[in-house]
Amino acid sequence: MNTSMRHLANWSILGLTLTFLIGPFLIIILAGASNTEYLAFPPEGLTLKWYLKVFTVESFRASFLLSMALAVFGTLAALLLGVPAAYALNRYDLPMAETVRTIVAAPIIVPGIIVGLALLRYMVVPTGVTVTLALFMAHTALVLPYAVRVVSSSMTNLRADMEEAAVLLGCSRLQAFTKVVLPNIRGGVLAAFILGFVTSFNQVPVSLFLSGPGVRTLPIDMLAYMEITFDPSVAALSALLAFMSLAIVFTAERLLGFSRYV
Amino acid sequence: MSDAFVQLSDLTLSYGKSVAVPNLDLSIREGELIALLGPSGCGKTTTMRAIAGLLSPTGGTITIDGRDVTRVPANKRGIGLVFQSYALFPHLTAFENVAFGLRLQKLPEAEIKQRTEEGLATVGLTGFEKRKPAEMSGGQQQRVALARSLVMRPKVLLLDEPLSNLDARLRLEMRTELQRVQKETGITMVFVTHDQAEALALADRIVLMKDGKIEQLGTPADLYARPETAFAAEFMGFENIFKVEGEEIVTTSGRLPLEARPESPILAWRPDAVTVGSGPHEGRVAACSFAGAHREYVIDSALGPIKADAAITLPEVPLGEAIRFDLPLATARGLAA
Amino acid sequence: MFRNTREGLALALPAAIFSTLLFLVPVAILLSEAFRGTSGGWSLQGYIDFFSTPLNRTVFLRTLKLGALVAGTAAVIGYAAAFCIVNLGPKSRGKVFGMVVLPLMISPVARTYAWIVILGRTGIVNEAITGLGLSDTPLRLLFTETAVFLGLLQLFLPLMIISLVSAMENIPRDVIPAARVLGASWIEVFFKVILPLTKEGLVIGGTLVFTGALTAYITPAILGGSKVLMLETLLYQRVNVSNDFVSASVIAMILIVMSFSANLLLKRIATARN
Repeated sequence: MNTSMRHLANWSILGLTLTFLIGPFLIIILAGASNTEYLAFPPEGLTLKWYLKVFTVESFRASFLLSMALAVFGTLAALLLGVPAAYALNRYDLPMAETVRTIVAAPIIVPGIIVGLALLRYMVVPTGVTVTLALFMAHTALVLPYAVRVVSSSMTNLRADMEEAAVLLGCSRLQAFTKVVLPNIRGGVLAAFILGFVTSFNQVPVSLFLSGPGVRTLPIDMLAYMEITFDPSVAALSALLAFMSLAIVFTAERLLGFSRYV
Repeated sequence: MSDAFVQLSDLTLSYGKSVAVPNLDLSIREGELIALLGPSGCGKTTTMRAIAGLLSPTGGTITIDGRDVTRVPANKRGIGLVFQSYALFPHLTAFENVAFGLRLQKLPEAEIKQRTEEGLATVGLTGFEKRKPAEMSGGQQQRVALARSLVMRPKVLLLDEPLSNLDARLRLEMRTELQRVQKETGITMVFVTHDQAEALALADRIVLMKDGKIEQLGTPADLYARPETAFAAEFMGFENIFKVEGEEIVTTSGRLPLEARPESPILAWRPDAVTVGSGPHEGRVAACSFAGAHREYVIDSALGPIKADAAITLPEVPLGEAIRFDLPLATARGLAA
Repeated sequence: MFRNTREGLALALPAAIFSTLLFLVPVAILLSEAFRGTSGGWSLQGYIDFFSTPLNRTVFLRTLKLGALVAGTAAVIGYAAAFCIVNLGPKSRGKVFGMVVLPLMISPVARTYAWIVILGRTGIVNEAITGLGLSDTPLRLLFTETAVFLGLLQLFLPLMIISLVSAMENIPRDVIPAARVLGASWIEVFFKVILPLTKEGLVIGGTLVFTGALTAYITPAILGGSKVLMLETLLYQRVNVSNDFVSASVIAMILIVMSFSANLLLKRIATARN
């Protein structure tokens, strides 16, 4: 096989694969712009009305805000728990390090739907905790493994004697952490935040059972909406969400080489 | 003991249940450059970390300049440490690395600037202020680490294997540099090394350590010429160390007679203290290599292999041929059992 | 000592306790539910009942079948794609790799919804079929196993490609040309050189795709509906429609056991490599 033919074969395989992976998004963008009352592709006439309608649907607005809040605060809480844990697992010779690691990683392994159901049955129902609080805690726990993993990996490159040097120069232990460790793992913490945010925002199974009157995350709300309505607004919203994720990931990649950490 | 600036008394250091250094006593004089020398695991680094306050002793006391600092935390002890890896802060420039400790003391900005620039000048790094550690060579990084400790005007400066990460040329340069800085500042320095050549070249006194205990303490000349134990002798380059029984040298492979009955139970010869080409004993050449001013022979003898240096004027004896040699009592160093 | 164990535990335990209380304890109670007999005490009746229902058996086998099919297909496409990616120049390699990874960052709802547009009654495939006159009425493409299969494949294929690319990057240079020079055909090169050297990547990718497909909810929910139930959607139905928590507990156990064994397998491979 000569080089140019191999080149051609190479790119056609990649072209097909990428079309399969990315093509659907292009289709969704156009489907959301179809000037019809039902989903259609190719779009029959182009309009932005479905894209605009998304912003006027009351439930979408509420669930978008809830998902945003869960993603931001859940991830922050996960970092609050995860950064010290990652630090301890890296810097201390803990007797139960492997156990702690397994427990913290468990949320990745246990299917989300089970977690959601378990929390509903054994926390929300018996204790009367609000669904919103349960959602918040579930999302925190869900993001925790990513926070610990990403922060850990950015910490392994950081030599432990740097903190000792800082202490000998007069730092307290806490100062050594804030002045020396934190500035050097900032990229990792930010990457963990972004990964956590995206994971939490896109999460469905955990939130499936954890919904109540007026309390629904955006993906769950979309599922509910598409069961009763077939207009292209869900396509438009999907396209908008895809753009949002892409924008976040692109900015992160530009600013801190996000992919290094994931 | 009255002139002790740093005094370790009955110091016991342990990691968990295993004791690394039992009951150590050591006094260091003010302005002295002292080497803690020994193989890995001998307790030298542990001792250094205890002086720095990075490890709290399980027994005994540490006194510095008349003050008991045994329970004083590391950040209040006023001791500098240059780490083997330098441990520079990668997110800060050379200037900010050096100014780090001064800033913590909340000194006026002008003084910070002046002392930092002075510190960088002392180690010959003026003009490198804006560089980050990643943009500097190993030697330059070490100078930053040195300056970072020096500007704090520590009572004692500890150096962990200061030359081990440098190549041969830089090592020589840094050695003279360290001596110069020490002379200029008069700071008491303690450095840890496993390299006897480094210790001999640099230190005022050497503390040779083995298994957490001081094996021998003395000036480089002392240790070099008069090691007291087989361990010290081996570390100082005595390559032929043998047990004596009556008037004979004895090894597991055999025995050789001596010209008289020696006083010491163990005798040691450096390779250049062995007579080659003449003498009462005969062996075979097992290896021979040219080393400029002399030839280094390994002689297969009744005692097993013997290392001997022969003057270059002596004609080379081919491999496998017989060669005469002597282990004269006059050039032997007698050691304690 | 400079770092004592108590300090370390104080930093690590909040995260561990949080996960224990919010995950392990509730999930453990849920799992125990299927073992609780009606008259108190322990029994396996829940499991026996579950597997004696034909629908449950069908769903169980379908989930396994779809998981295996998706993982197998992903492996075939993944090898071809990964091989092409590794052969690209460094610049376009990064770009193409990025394009493979990106979909993972996008909401699975959005990713799955696209298939409704493609496979729906007024979707692109049906428009083409009726437009070409192949059929008078639109075909039912949604709510079929094929639709679920396609959705899952699109969702998890990137995981396989990523695993295989990193495995192939570790193949020593010149091994493949060397095999060619020694007279191996491309098929022989694949089975005797590439496959053995990327076995780990294949197992890792396969496990990720298989467990992903096993525990996906959105795709079977949107593209399969109640016609093509999988374990996750069945669990949802059992709880929300029939309040049958024993079945839910059995399904949960099946999912967790499979997910955990896959994870153990991964871990064993990871440690064997070190």
